[in-house]
Amino acid sequence: MKEILQQHKGYLLTGVSHVIPFIACGGILIALSLAYAFQFGHVDAAGAPDLSNAPAWIRDVNLIGTKAFELFPAVLAGFIAYAMAGKPGLLPGFVGGFIASMPQVVGDKNTSAGFIGALIIGLVAGHVVNGLKKLPVPKLLRPIMPIIIIPIFSALPVGLIMLALNIPLAKVMVTMGHFLESLQSGSQIVLAMVLGAMIAFDMGGPVNKAAFFFGAAMIQQGNYMIMGACAAAICTPPLGMGLATLLSRKRWSAEQRESGLAAIGMGMIGITEGAIPFAAADPFRVIPCLMFGSMIAATIAMLGGVGNHAPHGGPIVLPVVTGRWLYVISIVAGALATALAINLVKQVTEKVSSPGENK
Amino acid sequence: MKIVAVTACPTGIAHTYMAAEQLEKTARKLGHSIKVETQGAMGIENKLTQEEIDSAAVAILAVDIAIEESERFDRVRKIKVPVQSVMKNPEAVFAQI
Repeated sequence: MKEILQQHKGYLLTGVSHVIPFIACGGILIALSLAYAFQFGHVDAAGAPDLSNAPAWIRDVNLIGTKAFELFPAVLAGFIAYAMAGKPGLLPGFVGGFIASMPQVVGDKNTSAGFIGALIIGLVAGHVVNGLKKLPVPKLLRPIMPIIIIPIFSALPVGLIMLALNIPLAKVMVTMGHFLESLQSGSQIVLAMVLGAMIAFDMGGPVNKAAFFFGAAMIQQGNYMIMGACAAAICTPPLGMGLATLLSRKRWSAEQRESGLAAIGMGMIGITEGAIPFAAADPFRVIPCLMFGSMIAATIAMLGGVGNHAPHGGPIVLPVVTGRWLYVISIVAGALATALAINLVKQVTEKVSSPGENK
Repeated sequence: MKIVAVTACPTGIAHTYMAAEQLEKTARKLGHSIKVETQGAMGIENKLTQEEIDSAAVAILAVDIAIEESERFDRVRKIKVPVQSVMKNPEAVFAQI
């Protein structure tokens, strides 16, 4: 059972790894075009951005980003199925995911089955194709399996299943959106703390990716705050460790001080992995401090309403962040928290464990 | 011993390459020859040919996702481990050879 879950995690992560560039392109291009609209007063009576009078190239930038987003569920589902079933998985995965991206109206909300639909239908498509591959086929018919039988008999059931799931899943998406919007500051703090802890826990591993992908998928849903909190949490582990080596040079070896500088560089461009050399050498003391700092960064960003339009973290995404000052403050606070915590922990524990070290 | 390896993590910008570096470093230390193919966000880099794979004693697949062109490894003995395990304790991975 555990092995099956592990396998399916691998399938989902394969889909995620292929879809990240699509979210980056869509999120950033749309954010840039909207930033232009606000900057130059292309807004309607309600204050929402309105590009109808904007220059054609701005509308094009917006359109290209929108198209990248529209492909997102199809690519996600397609490559989940590809991971499971190889080439024959692509067609039902793409078609199923494409159907999941069809606009749906639930109540007064425009929505779609979106990423949840894509995750589900990608797995379904992979299983359907793997089932079809196992059918005993007379030798005569074997050549037409991959070009006719499997495409038709995978796309049909997968498509029908997705059509049936569209409305229920669209309702789930709307409910989730309502839930996230309705969160009061108390539950916002809880959500932000969980996201921050997950981001820092394995620094780019599967737990980190789960939180990251939730944030990234919410960008496509038009909720930028989840990614805002994640983005602040993403960069504080390496920044915090780097800062710790700068604040208290004598506590760190020459080698560590060097990796501290490298970590700051990685933190600036939003690569959590920069903290790994520290965490790998001393996990039980370092990782809790990283989680502590990331939780603080995520909480400040979330409460401050920081929004991030790019599926990436760190100071490098500042141009597509809304609430920039609070974003910077959350990062500085989180990095400081990590740095002070780890130096304090080192001070306390090292005195106890090696009293003879003060030469 | 002649070893080939593939590294691939979901994002493909950091872990993939850090794991590759660890494998190369550890192999050198233990006196093995190794070629590591990375399958990161840039796609396949330092690609392993079929001949290289066939002549290797073992293939280490340090991957969290499904890899490209996996059929190349059909005939070789494989060790599959999570990317993280290579970074945390590379020698334990080599101990499985």
